Parts: sequence; structure tokens; C-alpha cells
Amino acid sequence: MKVTYNWLKDFVNITLNPKELAEKLTLAGLEVVSLKESSGDSVLEIEITSNRPDWLSIAGIAREVGAITGVKFDMGRFNRLKAKAGSKRRIEISVANEKDCPFYSATVIQGVKVAPSPDWLRKRLESLGCRSINNIVDITNYILFELGQPLHAFDLDALKRPFVAVRRARPEEKIITLDGRQVVLNQEILVIADQDRPVAVAGIMGGKETEVTLDTRNILLESAVFDPVLVRKGRQKTGLQSESAYRFERGVDLKGAKTASLAAQELIRKLAGGKVFSYGSAGASEPSSTTIKVKMSQINSLLGVNVPVLKAKQILSRLGFFVKVKPKETLLVKVPSFRQDVKSYVDVIEEVARIYGYNKIPMSLPAVKPSQSQDGARSSISEVKRVLSALGLNEVITYSLVDRNLLAKSGIGQELAPLEVLNPLSKEQEVLRYSLLPSLIKTVAYNLDQKQECVSIFEVADIFLPSRECPREEASLGIALCGTRSLFLERGLVKDEVGILHIKGILETVFRRLGVGGYSFKPTGNGRVSVVAGRDEAGYMLDLNEQVLAAFGIKNKKIVCAEIRINKLVSAGIPEKKFSGIPRYPAIGRDISFLVKDDISVEDILAEIRTRASSLLSSSRIIDYYQGKQIPSGFRALTISCEYRDKDRTLTEEEVSPLHDALCAGLENKFGIRLRQA
Amino acid sequence: MDINAIQAQLEDDLSAASSAQDIEAIRVKYLGRKGVLADLTGAIGSLPPEERGVFGREVNALKLRITESVSSRLNALNIKASISDKKETDIGLPGIAQELGSSHPIVQVIEEICGIFARMGFSVLEGPEIETEFNNFTGLNIPLDHPSRDAFDTFYLKDYPKLLLRSHTSPMQVRVMKNRKPPLAIVVPGRVYRPDAVDASHLFMFHQIEGLLVDENIKFSDLKGVLEFFAKSVFGSDIKMRFRPHFFPFTEPSAEVDISCIMCKGKGCSVCGRKGWLEILGAGMVHPNVFKHAGYEKGKFTGFAFGMGVERIAMLKYGINDIRLFFENDLRFLKQF
Repeated sequence: MKVTYNWLKDFVNITLNPKELAEKLTLAGLEVVSLKESSGDSVLEIEITSNRPDWLSIAGIAREVGAITGVKFDMGRFNRLKAKAGSKRRIEISVANEKDCPFYSATVIQGVKVAPSPDWLRKRLESLGCRSINNIVDITNYILFELGQPLHAFDLDALKRPFVAVRRARPEEKIITLDGRQVVLNQEILVIADQDRPVAVAGIMGGKETEVTLDTRNILLESAVFDPVLVRKGRQKTGLQSESAYRFERGVDLKGAKTASLAAQELIRKLAGGKVFSYGSAGASEPSSTTIKVKMSQINSLLGVNVPVLKAKQILSRLGFFVKVKPKETLLVKVPSFRQDVKSYVDVIEEVARIYGYNKIPMSLPAVKPSQSQDGARSSISEVKRVLSALGLNEVITYSLVDRNLLAKSGIGQELAPLEVLNPLSKEQEVLRYSLLPSLIKTVAYNLDQKQECVSIFEVADIFLPSRECPREEASLGIALCGTRSLFLERGLVKDEVGILHIKGILETVFRRLGVGGYSFKPTGNGRVSVVAGRDEAGYMLDLNEQVLAAFGIKNKKIVCAEIRINKLVSAGIPEKKFSGIPRYPAIGRDISFLVKDDISVEDILAEIRTRASSLLSSSRIIDYYQGKQIPSGFRALTISCEYRDKDRTLTEEEVSPLHDALCAGLENKFGIRLRQA
Repeated sequence: MDINAIQAQLEDDLSAASSAQDIEAIRVKYLGRKGVLADLTGAIGSLPPEERGVFGREVNALKLRITESVSSRLNALNIKASISDKKETDIGLPGIAQELGSSHPIVQVIEEICGIFARMGFSVLEGPEIETEFNNFTGLNIPLDHPSRDAFDTFYLKDYPKLLLRSHTSPMQVRVMKNRKPPLAIVVPGRVYRPDAVDASHLFMFHQIEGLLVDENIKFSDLKGVLEFFAKSVFGSDIKMRFRPHFFPFTEPSAEVDISCIMCKGKGCSVCGRKGWLEILGAGMVHPNVFKHAGYEKGKFTGFAFGMGVERIAMLKYGINDIRLFFENDLRFLKQF
């Protein structure tokens, strides 16, 4: 909403300069977003919140200026306007449904002389960014800006009797609006119609055929109140925008509709001549009014201030409320018709606070009672993120809304139909993703394009799973690795191409950190490895195939990725740590180096060792493996380090040797391993 | 010969020595069979009997001191020798360490902000991103067909009428109040969605942090105090703050909160649009209708709520001028944080 400094002065004697005024308005809730000089006047552009239609007028803002600066605001010249003699002749107005149109008035003025507007009028409109058309149209716009009431003037001779019916449009009815567009109407749109066609989309825009032009002699001047919801829907359905619709949607003042019509008639008489010939109206004549009771103690305790009762009364009165103090320290506040937004005591409190000044309210700190309930998953997630970034992974955030094709080309979850968005703005927002991995693969591809050698990223976010009753949403961890890591060692650079074991190592580290007891990795074919944590499958790892890589434009690189359900991770983890004593007696270490057929899984060998070994075996782990020239083909060399320990005493070689030999013999039997000299 | 003079001479000799051979020569000179000490010992016999005891003890003490000095000097030389024998590592070579990853800047800002509120006793909660129309609008006193809805343009789900992607984190107010009675002090970070055209400052997905404090006798002044603590913690204690009246359907009175521009200190620059102020959040006292929807006893509780855009704060904090950078996930961007 734009206002000019001089126009405001028509209503209120401003003592501040425009800059000071802008500052004061901003701090009272009328945020001045720009202040510009224009031909001897200052134009203030104010952002008006949707609850204050009364601020969509010069008069409304002037009233506010009066309250802020403590100067009298004067609407006197409008209150003295009287209806003209001719208005005793009636025009028939039919309103199909009073809810759609609580008030409608029409005034016929004959013998007007339509001409360009005088300079002062044209300049004022132009300073607000409104184009001048002719004196009649300009007057309706002038009153709209000055008083906030939208008016419309029809060319009376273009209307067919009976002139005015306010009704819903019939299916497929059409109108060409003032902006020259043909609009197809329907029953959800309210129109003004003459005998046989719509002549205006009610509250939004008039029709081209009944427009006031330089040839117009007689006019019908409309001043009405339309249902805000209906105007809002009509605007959305027709796509038409107008200053009128903007105000009707927010709610116009029923009392103001009459004043505005009289003010316009007065200006028309002055600038275009003509005589009021007849008048008609339909609907409520008096708006309902509410009175709100507020105790000073309510005001002061909610704000944390000590405003005296007389100060509160003065603030409210200057804003146009009718205030009685009755009994002591209690305000009875009668709400004026232009303040439909004020419905409850808190609204009154805000009015007092606004003018008193938010910045005069002191600062205090409340006694916050701490609560124990913390989101359990949140701390686990934080831990996971810390581990991952310590392992060198970069956290990313990608969009939850994605292009359906992105999911499809990843080959992931093809049995799933993603949740669709009803009103996406583009293809990139059409579905909710059921997996994080497609977005991560896309991010890897993007970074490879930026010539990154190695990309290791993760994301923790919700994924969305379709389900008949209600869509499911759950937190998920996605990891994607690609490229070659460069490791500097003392002997020089070592290149390390990432693969599925890197992902495994990362997950194992996470599991150990979270205290996930049993976890295992089980290949299920096609480069997919199921990841089991606790009892359930918690997710999977994936070595992407060539076809998927090609779909993302990736050549000569491999991508490995994993997706893990956070809830499975959290439920399998044991957050509490328990100390177990540091061994007091030394261990005896024995390595087994052997050749074994390469189709025998290391997992099985280790499992066999664990089940077979004596209770003195405290740990066994792979410390080396090799496959290559020095080994017969179809075999690989493994070295497993075994550690024997008793917690209560020092073991002797004599005790351990037979145990270890038996273990080796067992492996020879079971897997046909061939022992090598260490 | 004077014992003190011998000691001084020894020290001069030792400090001039630069090799093990030099030291050995010194040792022979003083302690050898024909050395200085041997001469002294030999001289004892020529002294009067009453002086012999004292002189003998002094000579012995000197002998000990010389032995010590010689061996410690030899040690020092040896250590030096062993260091310089080995070739020195070129310290200009790259250090060896596992490269550290990074946490996303948005996540870092969320953690920082939640941490500040946690210090004040707020607990951190998260809520679902798919919400009901009731929680997103009605329960927050936002009428379905009112222009106030325009500020909350929303993605709806196909096939699930009344379900939508939350357009703000405020629906968690409704959820929490439905399940818990005051006192409540929570902050809720999370993703929100709005069908906005994408440009340097708008995206269809971004992050918000919601705050809610409800108890008996919570005041607007408390809101101001808590938010001042927050803003000064994030942007520094020298910033100024101001509260401007504003409108949100779910709070009354409502405010927008500005801080003095952190770039120009309030003088006016391109970041603050020459205003000298930066809007950082919206806030207000919880509207009684919201309590009513939650089923709270009328008039018993008061509270405040606030909400802020995380990207906006991160952009100000790090001097980032395009919101899209956060979700492009260019490693050259991410690794800066």
C-alpha cells in the first residue's frame, strides 16, 4: 500500500518529517519498505498485514498516524455528507443470497461529462502507481485509495433493465473484463448481471462492454460489500487481480461503503457535473458491533509492563475504539465497524502494546523448568553424524521432493510407487522420495563434473513410503562413496579406490560406536548386500551397476552406497556404556597363515574359529590377505591373528600350543586350508 | 696451584671442546697419570702435616667435580651428534592425517541455535514433515479461506485429502500441546516446504526452527529477554534489537524481530537493503484459540512462540548470497564449513 505524505495531511496534522514518520509507522506495525520523493511529495510504501484491511486506505493510515503521534485525526468532512434529493427514486436491486453480498448500493447519475481528470487528481493517483483513465473512473479509484472502499461505475446506457442482479454465474457464462480478457465463469463465482448477462465479476473487475468511456453520459455507481471468501476464490479461479479484490478479500467496512459512495458522488458533481437520478440498496444497513472487556491486570501481566488505565484508554480511543472505564481498572472497549480483526481481549492488548511501543516493554528471563524428555533418536543421529564426518565424509542436504525420473533411473525401489504432490510447481517437485540414494548419486555425479577426485557424502533425512492408510515417514541414513582417495604416507602417495569394503568399514565403525550388538552383511545378489543389525535388516549396501552409472552420466568410476533405517539402528544400539576391566595378565598371540579356496567366505572361517575355539581364545581377526601371482589360482592367502588369554593368570606356551594346533587341524578338516610357514 | 683457578681453566677448556676427542684430551690433561690432579696429589706430601687433611679433601672434591663435568659434556656432545647424524625430515612435506569430513552448514547452524536454547532449558524435538491440514492451519488459528493463508502456500499430497507437507514448523506446537501439559519449553528444527519459485533467496524446501514456551505467567517481556539472549549469542553482544508489531494468526500480540545489520552495523548497506536492520524471526504470545484447540483450561496458561528461517540466519552468518548453494552440495562449498 502506497500513501503520500501530503495526502495523509488532509486528515491529520503531521509534525514529523517523512523519514521520522516512516520510522514511527514501522515500529507500530506498518512496515515502511520504501520512502521516495516525488514532485514535492513523499511516497511511503507500507507493507500491510492481512488482518488490517482498514490500513488499505489513506484515511486508515492517517488514523494510525494520529494515534502514534498524539494528534487529532479528522474525518469530519466525510461524516457531514448527505444523500442527494434524487436518491429517493428507487432502483430495483436483487441479491440472490445475502451471505454472498451483505450490502449492495447503486446510484444512477445522469448527465455527467466524462473527461480527462484535472492535474491534482491525476498526480495523486499516479503517485500511488495508478494510471489515470478519465474523471469518473479516476474518482472511483481515488475514493478506493482514500477510504479503502472499492467502487465501480457502469455506463448506464450499456445496461439492460432491470439493471442490477447480484448472483452466482451460470455454468459456462462468459465475460470480457476491463483488461480485455475473456473469462469463463462458473457457479462458484459471484457476478453483477443486468437482464441477460454478467456485467462485472463481483468485487474483482468490471466488464468491458459496460465500461465508462468518454462517450458515457449516464452512470450507475456501485458501492457494495461482498463475501471475502467468495471474492478470494473468484480471484483464484479467474486469475484476475485488482485493488478491489485485494480489499474485499480482507474485508471492507459496511459503514464505509455508504460514506464512500457519497464522497464519490460529491466529487463527480464537482468534476463531471450530472445529477443523482435514482438510488437503490439491498442488505444490512448497520454492521453488528462487539464490546470487549479487558482488565488492566490482564494487559500488564501479559506484557510485563505497568501501563496506567488512562494511557490505555487514550491509546484505544485515538485508534477509533469507544472506551469506558467501568469498573475501575477495567476497560469496556466497543469495536468500530472498520476493525473486524479485533475479536478478543488479546487483540485489544496488542493494540495497547503497539502504540505504547514494543520497545518500551522491558526484557526479562522466565524460569524455565527443565524437562527430561529428549528425543532419543536425535542424540543417536548426532553421534552417527560425528562418526561419519570424523571418517572423512561430507554431510549433504538434498531435496525431499524430486523428479520421478530420478528415482526411476537409479533402479532403486522400483516396486514402490512414490507419494505424489498434488500441486508441484515443476517436475523437480513432483514426488516425495522413498530413498535418499538417488539424490546422493546425483550429488556424486554433480561433484565428479566439478572434477572432484573423490566424493564421500552422507545425508540423514526422512524418507516417505506409500501405504494405503497413511503415508509412512521415517528417518534414514544414506551414504555414497566414489573415486580414489589419496593418502599421504611417509613413503609417499598411496591411491586407494573406494569400494564396497569402504562402506562396510564405515558402517562397522558406526555400529560399534552406537553399541549395536550383532551386525552382519549378507550378499543378496546383483551387487546388493543386506545389512542386518540386531535381528532385523536395517538396510543395505549397493555397488551400482554400469547401467545405473551410465544413466547418471558417470563413466569409468564406481559408486558404492548404503541406506540404513535410523530406527533400526537406534533400536539395535545400546547407548549405555559399561566398563569391562583391562586385562591384568599378558596374552599369548599365535598367527595362522594359510591358503584357502577363494570361494570360502572369510565370514565362515571366522565363525568356525569362534565356535570351535577354547574359552581361552580372546580374539581372532584377519590381519592380512593376499591373492595374486605367488598364490595358486583359485586360492587366497589369509593370516588370522589369534590371541589367548586367561583373566586370572598368565598362560604358558605349553597350555596354548595344543589348543592352537587343534584349532588349525579343525580348519584343515573343515575348509581344507593349507598352512603356510609364517 | 689454586684449586679455583684449576676449576675455571677446566670449564674454559670444556666449552671450547667440540668433539669426543677434545674431551678425551681434556680428561687426560686433568685426570691422567701425569695430569693436573696427579700433580696436586703428589704435592700433598710437601705440605705441613696440619694442612694435609684439608687440602686432601679439597683435591678429592675437585676430582669428583672434574669427572662429572667431563662426562656430562661428553653426553651433551653425543646427543647432538646422534641427532645430526640422521637425515632431517623435510618439514615442508604434507602432514600425514586422515582428512576430516564436514557437517552441513545448515546442520551446524541448527545445532548452534538449538544448543543456545538448550542452555536456557529448552528441549529439542522433531516432528513429521507430512502433516494434517488441522495441525498446519486450523489448530494454529489459521482460517482455511483467509488471505493469511497466502503467506503459507502449501504442497498437498495427491490421493490423501487433508494431508500436506508442512509449510512451517509450527504444527509441532499443536502436536506437543495435544500430548503434554505445561510447563513446556521446546525448540523444533526441521524441513518445511512451500511452492515458491526458485531464486537466490527462495526455495521450495528450507529449514525452520520453532520455539514454544508455555507455563503460568509467561509474559511478552520474557519473550523479549529470551530472544535477546539468543540473538546476542548468535550474532554477538554488540548488536541492537528491535521488535516490530506484526500479524501471525497463532500469536497475539505478534512481533517481527530485527537485529542491527551485522555487515554495516546499522548504517545501511546492500545486505540490509539500506535499512540498517535485518529481520531474523517472527514471534508472539500464543493465541488463546491455539490453547483452546489444544484443550488447555481457559486462561490458565500463557506462553510465547517464535519461528525463524535457518537458511536466512546461515546466509547472514557466513556471508552467503545464494540460498541454492546449500542444496547444490558442491564439495568446494561444503568443505568450507
